[in-house]
Amino acid sequence: MSQLGKDPQHNTFSLWQMTSLITSTLIGVGVLTLPRTTTEKMFEAGWMAPILGSVLTFFAIWLIAVLSRRFPGLTFIQYSRIVWGGHEQSRLGFWLSLPWIMMFLIALFVTTAITSRIFGEVVVTAVLMDTPLEVIIVSMFVLAVILCLHEIDTLARVNEILFPLILFPILFIALASFQKAEWNNILPLIRVPWETIITGAFETNFSFQGYEIMLIFFAFAHENTGKVKAGFYGIGISVFVYTLIVLAGIVVFGHEELQRVTWPTLELVKSTQVPGLILERLESAFLAVWVAAVFTTVANGYYAVIYGLRQLLKKGMLFQRIASIVLIFPLFFVAIGPQNIVELFKMTSLIGYTTVWISVVSPLIHWLIMLYRDRGRKREKGSDAHG
Amino acid sequence: MFNGRFTCSIRMKRRVFYPFLGTLTTSDGTGGRALSQFWKAWEKRKASLRNAALTQHANKSMESVPDTILSSSLEENLALLEKQLGKSDDLVVRRFTVKNGTEAALLFIDGMVDRGVVSEYIIRFMASTSVTYEKPAVNELESTDRLRQAIRNILSGNAVLVLDGQNKVFLNNTRGWDRRGVEEPKTESVVRGPRDGFAETLCVNSALIRSRLKDPNLRLKHFVVGQRTQTDIYVTYIEGIAHQPIVQEICRRVENINIDAILESGYIEQLIQDTRWSPFPQIQNTERPDKVVANLLEGKVAILVDGTPFALIAPAVFSQFYQSPEDYYERFYIATFIRMIRGVSMIIALLMPSLYIAFSSFHPEMIPSRLVIAMAAGRSTVPFPSVMEALIMETAIEILREASVRLPGPIGPTIGIVGALVVGEAAVSAGLVSPIMVIIVALTTIGSFATPSYSAAIAIRMLRFPLMLLAGMFGLYGIMLFIIIILIHLSSLKSFGVPYLTPISPINLVAMRDMVIRMPFRWLTRRPTMFHPQDEIRKGGEKS
Repeated sequence: MSQLGKDPQHNTFSLWQMTSLITSTLIGVGVLTLPRTTTEKMFEAGWMAPILGSVLTFFAIWLIAVLSRRFPGLTFIQYSRIVWGGHEQSRLGFWLSLPWIMMFLIALFVTTAITSRIFGEVVVTAVLMDTPLEVIIVSMFVLAVILCLHEIDTLARVNEILFPLILFPILFIALASFQKAEWNNILPLIRVPWETIITGAFETNFSFQGYEIMLIFFAFAHENTGKVKAGFYGIGISVFVYTLIVLAGIVVFGHEELQRVTWPTLELVKSTQVPGLILERLESAFLAVWVAAVFTTVANGYYAVIYGLRQLLKKGMLFQRIASIVLIFPLFFVAIGPQNIVELFKMTSLIGYTTVWISVVSPLIHWLIMLYRDRGRKREKGSDAHG
Repeated sequence: MFNGRFTCSIRMKRRVFYPFLGTLTTSDGTGGRALSQFWKAWEKRKASLRNAALTQHANKSMESVPDTILSSSLEENLALLEKQLGKSDDLVVRRFTVKNGTEAALLFIDGMVDRGVVSEYIIRFMASTSVTYEKPAVNELESTDRLRQAIRNILSGNAVLVLDGQNKVFLNNTRGWDRRGVEEPKTESVVRGPRDGFAETLCVNSALIRSRLKDPNLRLKHFVVGQRTQTDIYVTYIEGIAHQPIVQEICRRVENINIDAILESGYIEQLIQDTRWSPFPQIQNTERPDKVVANLLEGKVAILVDGTPFALIAPAVFSQFYQSPEDYYERFYIATFIRMIRGVSMIIALLMPSLYIAFSSFHPEMIPSRLVIAMAAGRSTVPFPSVMEALIMETAIEILREASVRLPGPIGPTIGIVGALVVGEAAVSAGLVSPIMVIIVALTTIGSFATPSYSAAIAIRMLRFPLMLLAGMFGLYGIMLFIIIILIHLSSLKSFGVPYLTPISPINLVAMRDMVIRMPFRWLTRRPTMFHPQDEIRKGGEKS
């Protein structure tokens, strides 16, 4: 808080940068399994899952943006203690906010590790059969560390420049695969009970995980007003991409077949043939381009963890650099923790449930307390509280 | 030394511990205070050592000349001057008697002065009684009583006139050594556009800019850099367009240069650039006055250096290394098309060999089946893996290129024919490399020639070697890893506060109009905002 005025990186993220930050963090390995996970419970209606599931996500990003708007220039790490302890009792606030902050950082840390592990599995099974899984994971971490060595405005610019590289391949695949579409596959539109649709939509919310990094990065917004807008744009683009890819999966394969493939999106890529293109099979090229998407997910998460630690301990850039190198060792062990792909998917859904706590419940509690405090202060002073 | 540091760090650890507990109980203090103190002490020691070395160094150069006041005796002054210049044999001391009977001496360095001016307008004017004018008739005449300034003027080609009985000496501008004229630039030739390029003389170069830009707001700031070479440089900008903080930052960095010699503008470029550890040029260089003027009008700052035809332009962004002044002289369709061609050629130059390696050794399924059969047939006799094949060929072509650059003009093409045609053809028929590889190497080389900026092309040429190695290790995955690393690096670069990738990220829609697509002039009404020009309007008053 004290170093805020001196911080040169303050107020650097433009609206477009925040949008691309959110979208590129969201779009990651989740897309590779999304057609299967959504159709598991909802069958033909799987393509509605991203749209329905996004309602909760939109609410969460709105909460996060509102919290950040209330404390302009402060990250979750910094404003959490103000929320809990007020400006007067900062020590009490620190201890009360610590569990929330640690929960946030640890969950993000584990998510990052698991994301890179899933991507490693994909790469090893699909393209680089002879390469050890660990090498792929470590190479992903090395990229994340390289990003962490730089200042926070570099992070925004990297996301901005990789954004089209993430968006276009997936849109291309989705649109190109419509050539083989059997549109009857999405009929009947709804044949499952409403409860199933709601649970299915809730579980789809897991594939939107990653936007909780905005608890940190909204603090660097260029304008205080654009946060909600940026959040909605970012989530909106992801919802569009997700819906399109699930729809493509359902109309090409049908929901029964989707249950039998591990990486349905990859199968979609394999079956896609574009006349006139020089390349015959696209999955290697797709996975290569997909490195960018996974990189943004992993590196943004890792950067948020490192930056959060840096702010928690009130250290400088040197700490960030050293910590980013040191912390890849625990990160690596978390990543190779799950023994096989079944355990890995179990862990993913476990993380999904935890993330709801981090990204919905925790901001909600903070917001409610903040409302309570603001109202108390308003009653005391009799004047209007800003925010 | 080491021992002292070690004990210090132990003590520091202990000290950190208690204040840290203290911070928890009292207020928000920084935990690593002792550590930062240690760092500060260390930095201070380094700075003081560096300063000591610098002052010692400075004594050896121009500052070694004592800045004393000259005496009024001719003999004393001559002895003083000759002592400083160490009786150098190219120092000419011409003694003569002025028309009123005073003894005089003219000092200059042989070869650096215009002899006609010296004999006709200084000696004859001063000596002959038929001329009534008292002083030398040269276009610039100053006087000084300082020894250092006199020495400096002698060394920069002026003639110094010492008169007996006066402690002031006259500094005559007689500079006139043989210089190369204004010729067509060799490195940046254009099909359409002005043919004059910068020369090695600073005043000629600044005049070339002035003649194109008759703006009274054009400012040239003079600096002298290099203790021993005493090189003159001009920092040039247009007041009212250029962003003042950028100008001040450039002036500050130029003033802080501490080096004994500046032989080319490349010295200055490397000394004032933001990131030293980058293969990418962060300051543009050019031989073309029209390019400098165009950039000045965009709000950038040019640095002209005496002794080299290459001017520097700062700040620079990545996209401008792929632009040529010709883009503005042709119609915008053509300019846009050519810019796209350049972009494609950059991608070819960077990626082609590594894509070949990745496809042939990791992803043969991606190549169309007929081509893969042809490639396999071509490669059947090749004894090496494709990484080695590509590395050998690329190294060979780099050697060939370096050899042909160094060779005198007429032999250059011969090397090209012998190297590329004869050796390439023979290598294929001997079964050392596959025919596809030869095509790829040729395409790569041609692609790297299509870049207008030589220094940007070198960076791309260099980066393709690690890229090939990574492609040999991880295939397309490795290529993508390296591209991401390059993008992170490019995103982190800044040239004088302007992000290097500017029109793309952070996105700048005004500047985008003149990036890949060169919009017609009708729409280029504003200067690119990334250089924060004070006067944004380039062309106003058009009613639509």
